[in-house]
This record gives sequence, structure tokens and C-alpha cells, in this order.
Amino acid sequence: MFVRCIAAVLLLLIVPAPAAHAHVGSKDVFETVHAGPYTLYVTVRPPNVIPGVATVEVRSSGAAISLLKVTPLPVTGEASKHPPAADVMQTSTADPAFYTGAVWMMAGGTWQVRFDIEGASGHEVASVPVVAVPIAVLTMEKGMGTTLAIFGLFLVLSMAGIVAAAVGEARLPPGVAPTPSVRRRGLIATFASLVFMAFAVVLGGHWWNVEAADYSANIFVPAPTKAVLAGDQLDLIVKNLHIDDRRGGRSNNDYLLDHGKIMHLYAIREPDMDAAFHLHPDLVAAGDFRLSLPAMPPGHYNLYGDVVHKSGLPETLLASVDIPASMPGGALGVDDAEAVAAPIGAGELDASFKLPDGYTMVWDRPATMTSGTAYSFTFHLLDQAGKPATDMQPYLGMAGHAAFVKTDGSVFAHTHPEGSAAMVDVMLANASLDGLPGATNMAAMNPPGPVTPDVSFPYGFPTPGRYRIFIQMKHGSTVETGVFDAVVQ
Amino acid sequence: MATSAASYVSDIPRVDTAPRVPWTVWAGALAVTCSTIGGTWDVSWHRSIGRDSFLTPAHVLIYACGAIAALICGYLILYTTFGNSQQLKNESVAVLGFRAPLGAFIAAWGGIAMLTSAPFDNWWHNAYGLDVKIVSPPHTLLILGIRGVSVGVTFLILAAMNRLAAAGQIHALSADAESTYKTLQTLFLYVGGITVIGQMFFIQEYTWDVVLHSTGAYIAVGIAVPMAFAAISRASGNRWACTICASVYTLFVVAEIQILPLVHATPKLGPVYYPVTHLVPGKFPVLIIVPAIVLDLLWQRLRNWKVWELALLSGVVFVAVIITVEWPFANFLMSKAADNRFFGSIYFDYTARANSYERLREFFEPASGIRLATGLAWASACAFFSTWFGLWFGNWMRGVQR
Repeated sequence: MFVRCIAAVLLLLIVPAPAAHAHVGSKDVFETVHAGPYTLYVTVRPPNVIPGVATVEVRSSGAAISLLKVTPLPVTGEASKHPPAADVMQTSTADPAFYTGAVWMMAGGTWQVRFDIEGASGHEVASVPVVAVPIAVLTMEKGMGTTLAIFGLFLVLSMAGIVAAAVGEARLPPGVAPTPSVRRRGLIATFASLVFMAFAVVLGGHWWNVEAADYSANIFVPAPTKAVLAGDQLDLIVKNLHIDDRRGGRSNNDYLLDHGKIMHLYAIREPDMDAAFHLHPDLVAAGDFRLSLPAMPPGHYNLYGDVVHKSGLPETLLASVDIPASMPGGALGVDDAEAVAAPIGAGELDASFKLPDGYTMVWDRPATMTSGTAYSFTFHLLDQAGKPATDMQPYLGMAGHAAFVKTDGSVFAHTHPEGSAAMVDVMLANASLDGLPGATNMAAMNPPGPVTPDVSFPYGFPTPGRYRIFIQMKHGSTVETGVFDAVVQ
Repeated sequence: MATSAASYVSDIPRVDTAPRVPWTVWAGALAVTCSTIGGTWDVSWHRSIGRDSFLTPAHVLIYACGAIAALICGYLILYTTFGNSQQLKNESVAVLGFRAPLGAFIAAWGGIAMLTSAPFDNWWHNAYGLDVKIVSPPHTLLILGIRGVSVGVTFLILAAMNRLAAAGQIHALSADAESTYKTLQTLFLYVGGITVIGQMFFIQEYTWDVVLHSTGAYIAVGIAVPMAFAAISRASGNRWACTICASVYTLFVVAEIQILPLVHATPKLGPVYYPVTHLVPGKFPVLIIVPAIVLDLLWQRLRNWKVWELALLSGVVFVAVIITVEWPFANFLMSKAADNRFFGSIYFDYTARANSYERLREFFEPASGIRLATGLAWASACAFFSTWFGLWFGNWMRGVQR
């Protein structure tokens, strides 16, 4: 331990893991919850280390809330039936509609944060899915390392002194002065104890290394994925990591349909991010996602494949592919979407994006945006006359899809108007509420009705920098993709 | 004034009015009691409620051990080093320029180790997750610290006992001195019992009821228990030392099983696989009381054997007796007959999955045949070395007078 303490003095505070889970580099969950008459804008910030504590922030609108309680539990399995005792969320003194709390997540996997809502309008229960996986290794601060090293050194030296006294004076009758031979014995004991403790410290350091390696082995990494292009057929070959349920549960053949698709694949041309595709491969064999590519501008594409495992664990598979100019490509699939925009290097895009068919997508872009803050970003689809589009349709079951992508490739998040959690996880979380008094079902979470041309996405940028945002909305049979830029402080 | 060892014996005064048991010894016994109850309560807290904070009652009891130890050691070290009491100086040793009884320095070391473990453990939680193991590096440092306090208190008692015993060899002790000696010996055996509880506490993950048909359990017990028995037996000079210490352990754990479930508790974190409504106690005590009785009887009769001969026989006997009684008793613990409040087989922590060995009441990797024989041979070898060390250390302890 002491050796590690000394070594730790030189280390940095946090070494981030190379990748996150669902989404990339964007672990926080932003969800809009409609529970009966209550509406909650929920932000859950999972810990980097599991077991750990997630913070929960809620802004309430709709009916007034008198008491809001929160508790964490897995979305599936036996433990999803036994919620721990719920905690009352604290109300902000400055803003009575803003609540804060914390939930402990003791195992990796897909959890739900369950809300128990009391108010004059009745009792409701709703859940928000949260992925909790270890994504970082904490290394020791210099001050902490130095302090522990000093204490460790003192413990070693003082123990050597104690051993010397034990071997020397301790067995002498009271008042008898130690003889030279007793003193010599004490010196030998001091030396021997120092050697022994040095050995113990080395062993302790080895133990620490083993524990740290065990932990590091559990850090979430997306399954290694390789893109193989033959003609216009793309195969994404996913390695099977055989991770059991106790560590999240995922293989390369255990996927759930999310919005009716086994994978939502974003292909974004780098480095200019001037072409983007939202595609849907099929799983043709274990670990083999296949699709026929549409005609695409040639170049290097980063691929982000969103999948959800049977355990409820979402994952973004990462790969890249070079599209040659000679690739013929087919027609875009019915449920697929594409966008072409000015390259990143050409400057920041407007908050109004002209679409190929004459429609326009407009973003109510905030004047300033800061990282870590929860926003509700609203986009409008206007027809050729500049009026709100009237022939709106759901796209893959949702009013819209959004992808927030940082220009350096460190962040990718595919979200929806309900929030950033995978829809299938929302369904799993709410399925576990069945039979509970006040439980809010899926229908209540996603009120049926006509899709409007005004769509809001709850989201918060994880880090400062420049982002490109791809928004998909559907009118008639046309899927539109608007492209926007955000500079985040 | 310091004198030579040769002249000291004849200088020992008759102990007509015996020194009373010093308050530091009583406070030390209280300190180790606090840490033992606190540690047990804390494990139950983690198994029942899960979520803790700096100031849970269990943590406060553990801190109380450190605080009392700091008070005792601070007093003894400062008063002996800087005070005017020649008697205290005569009964002290020197460490890093300070003077105090050896036990005070050991207990102080334990307190500083406990103090060091706190920020280390906090960092460990942040780095590798909240408490998931008892045996982690920072917890080991904490347990070493608690054990340091316990050993320090043991030496404080022991030195006072040995001084009286040395005086008694020269001049007959007065009735008061005899009474003080008996009190010190009782306290010593009580703290010895606490030490046995501590040993069994540290290896509890290896002696859980579902692993009692695995050889690992007997290797763990063979390492941890005989050294404590042998050292306490030799140092105390009591004929029934092992039995008394094992009784303290057994009664403590039985009391834990009876008392803790009376306290309402529900899990405050998940995943919850088993709904808990009260504090969950530990498992029924391992029947070390049986080999303890056998070892006491053995050691009463074989006083003249060499240490290594006695250790060899004792190690084998210890393992033979514990396996003979615990193996069938484990069958009983896994049966419906033990599903009651006394034996406590009905209690599971909130993380116990329905398909776990514990909930299914099945043994985990039971050993048989060659594997069992090999494991028991290893257990016997461990028990031999453990007993040898304990006997050697116990003999050495009898000479400690400061």
C-alpha cells in the first residue's frame, strides 16, 4: 500500500475510460416523464465508478407535487420486484419546483430510478432507466498520496521501534536498565522488522495491483466491432465478450428490438461531418449486422451502432469504414434517413436549416449553452410556405430523433423527445411497474395523438466544445434530417 | 534509579497493598468491546440496510474504540514521558524517544493505523466502488489497527499481571494483590475472547455455512484460531483459557443472532434480491469450543512436551476435532431443523439471490476423497504452525513486565 501511495503521488486525478456505454462520452440521462397529471424533467448523473452514487435532479411542471420520493432498482430480474426504501427528494429553497436527490447503484447493468409522486391530483409512480457501468479509473491525488505515504512511513518506523522495545526492554523487570546485549537484540529486531515490513508493503502493493486490475477488467468497453465492405454490402462483425448478467449482461446475439429495429446505425463522414445517414442493418448471424448501403458520398465514415441487449443494457458499437467513389449504392430504405450539410470547417451553421424538398427546420437555439446543464431543445418543421408542417408522421414510432455528436468524435448521443434513454429500456422499466398502485404505463408516458411539427429533446452536453446536431422528423413519407451546430461553454 | 537485572529480584518489595487495576486497563477493555460490537453491527448494517454514512451507530462504536485508545495512550505516553512518576518510568519502554508501557505504544500504533485507514478507505470507495468486500487493503489496515488496539490492551493487562506474578514468586501476595491478579487475569481472558472473535470475524467469508464442507474453511480456521488459543493459554496460565475464550466467542455470536433481528431495518439500496425487514445477524458460531476444550485438556497433561512436539500434536488434534464436529453440524445448519431464530439459518441478506447456494441451502463446492484429504492435511499443517507460533509467542508474553 505504501509503495502504491508513493507511486500515486505522481498520478493524475481521473483517467477517463476510452469509451462509454449507450451513447459515447455522454453518460447522463435526460428524460421527460409524464405521470398522470404530473410532468417531470429528470436528469440522472450516474457515477463513473460502480458501486457508486448517482445524483438525481427533477424539475416539475404540470400538477403540483407535495412529496417526491426516489429509489433505484434494476429494470429486469428478481431484484426489479423489491425496491429499496425510497428517499424523499430535497426541494430547492430558491425554486420549489426543483428537487435533488441521490441513489446508490451497487452493481453494473441497467437500472431504473423510480419516482413516487404525491400531490393533490393523486399518487403516481414512474420510472426512468439509467445505465450504470464503471467507465473510469480514479487515481490518487498528489495531496492524498503524500498524506497516506507519510502516515504509512510513520506506521512502519513506529512499528520497528515497538518491535525493538518488545525484544529489548519489555521483558526486563521494572527499573532495570537494558544491557548492551539487550540493546543489540533490539537493533537486530529493528532491522529484521523493517525487512519484514518492507516485504509486507511489497505484498500489499501487489494485492492493490491485483484489486485494481480486477476493477479495470470490469470497466465498460463497447464490444470490438469491425466494418467489412464488399460492393455495397456492409457487415459489422461484433466480437462476443460473453459478459454475464452480474456485470451488465451482453453477448453478440442477445439484442432487443428498439423502435422496431435491431440496430440504429449512424454513419457520419469525417472529418467534416458534412454527410450523415441513419440506417438499420439486420442481424443475419450471431455478431453479424448486415445492410446494403445506399448511395453515399465517398470518404471516411465513423459508424455508431446503437443496440440494446436482452438484459436492458444499451451499447453503442463503434467502427469506421471508407466508402469508395466506385461504390454504386442502392436506394435509401423506407425507414432510413440522410443529410448533407456544409462542412464543419465552413463555419457555424444557422439555427435554420433548409431541407432538400423546400421545407425548413428551425432550432430555438439558446443564446449560450454550458456543459452539464439540462436543456430542452425545441425544433420546428416548416413547409415550403414557412408555415408549420401539417402532414407530420411519427418516425420509427417517435415524433423525432436527435443525434448530438461532438466534432472531435468523443461524444455521440442518439436521443428522443422522451429523453436520452433507449426506448426499449423505458418500456422495460415501466413494465416492472405493472400492478403497482399509481403506476404510469407506456401509453401515459407517450400520450397517443397527432405528431406536431414542434419537437423538444431533453439533453445536456457533457463537455465544452463544438457539436453537430442531426434532427430527424417525418412528414408524409419523407424523413427530413436537419443539421445544426452548437458551441458549448 | 535503574538497577541491574541481577540485583532486581532481591529488591522486589512485598506487595502488601496491591495496586488496583488501573483505569487504563478497564478503559482498554471497553475500547475493544466497542470495536467488536461496532464491527459486527457494521457488517449486519451492510447486509440489511446496505447504505451507510460516516456517523452510523456501528461506525460510532468503532470510532469510540479509537478515541478511547487515543485517550489511554495519550495519557500513558505523555504522563510517563514528561511526568514525575518514577514507577511509571520504571515500568515503561522507549519508542521513538517517548516512554510508556509497551501496550500503550501498540495501541497507539493501532489507533494511527485506524486513522490512516479512514481516508484510504474513502478513496478506495471512490476508486473501486463502495464496500463490496470485507477483506480489502484499507479494511485490512483498519482491522490491523483495531487488532493493534486489542493487542495493546492485552499487553497493558499482561504486564500488570506478570509484575504481580513475579512479585508473588519472591514474596507471597496479599489477599488484595491476589484479588487484583484474578481481576487482571479475568480481563485478560475476556480480551483474549475478544481476540478470538476478531480472528473469526476476519475469516467469516471463508467460514460461511455453505462452505463448511469445503477444505478452505478448515484451513482458515486452522490458521486463525490455534495461535490465539495457544498464546492466550500460555500467557494467562489459566488451565481453561481456550475454553473460556471460545465461550466468549460463542456467546457473543449467539447473542448477536438473538438480538440483531429484533431491530427493524430495510434495504436502502439495491439490487434487493431478498426483502429484509430487520438487521441480519451473522451465521451460527463455528464449534471451535469443542477443540478448545480438547486442547485445554491436552495442554494440562502435556506440560513438559517440547513446543514443536506439542504444536504438531495439537495442530492435528485441532483439525481432527473441528472437522468431526463441524462437518455434521453443517449438515444440521443446512437442514430445516436449523430454520429457527436460535440457529439463525432463516436469515439472509438483501443481496441473496433466489438461486444462490445460501438460499438453496446447498453446499458450495463440497470436498470429498483425495481433495478432502489433501485439504485437511494442509489444514493440519497450518494448525501446527499456528499453534507453534502461538505457544512460542505465549511463552514470550509471560515475560513481558512493562
